[in-house]
Amino acid sequence: MVKSERLQTARVEPVPGRAWWIALLAWFVPGAGHMVLRKWGRAAIMGGAVWVTFFVGLAMGGHMWDLSPDAAVSTSYFDWTTLIQVPPMIGNLGTGIAYTVCWLLDIGFKDDPAQAARTTYESGTYFLIIAGLMNYLTTLDAFDTAAWRKE
Amino acid sequence: MKHFLVMCLFAALASIVFGAISKDTPRERVIYGAKVFAEFIAIGLALGWLLYFIP
Repeated sequence: MVKSERLQTARVEPVPGRAWWIALLAWFVPGAGHMVLRKWGRAAIMGGAVWVTFFVGLAMGGHMWDLSPDAAVSTSYFDWTTLIQVPPMIGNLGTGIAYTVCWLLDIGFKDDPAQAARTTYESGTYFLIIAGLMNYLTTLDAFDTAAWRKE
Repeated sequence: MKHFLVMCLFAALASIVFGAISKDTPRERVIYGAKVFAEFIAIGLALGWLLYFIP
């Protein structure tokens, strides 16, 4: 069978619109996407792991990132000292509502020398980033389940 | 010791998620999660010793 024939015979299943909403919910509230899909075990295990990682990171004094320029070294959003915050911020953003609430209440965003001097500061910072990255995986899993790509 | 415990906690949480999203049956998931956990610890310890000798 030539390529054009294979393309004609291959059926592309459309992604249901519901899957996108479930993915959005799964990102915003870790574990909620699987709850909507009634995958209670997965919601508890995967969502629970994300929440535990996030709160452990916060308890260890970890730091989170946003796009506010550091007034001491930069005044522009396009300065490298600001742009270098984008990759860890993308990781942090993965925790959805947890990141949003902390950002609104200014928890974990201050550049506090006493906090930075803690032995667990760096580990905590990585925990917070990894929590977000793990929630991206959880979101993709919820999307695939909602789109009937996996059980 | 504290750093090692933190590494174990991190490895456990990450391997839970990796195990849950992969494979098809619960048994395969548990085995894969345990394998990922062991790899995290083994590679972490190996890198720790390697960096110990590098000034």
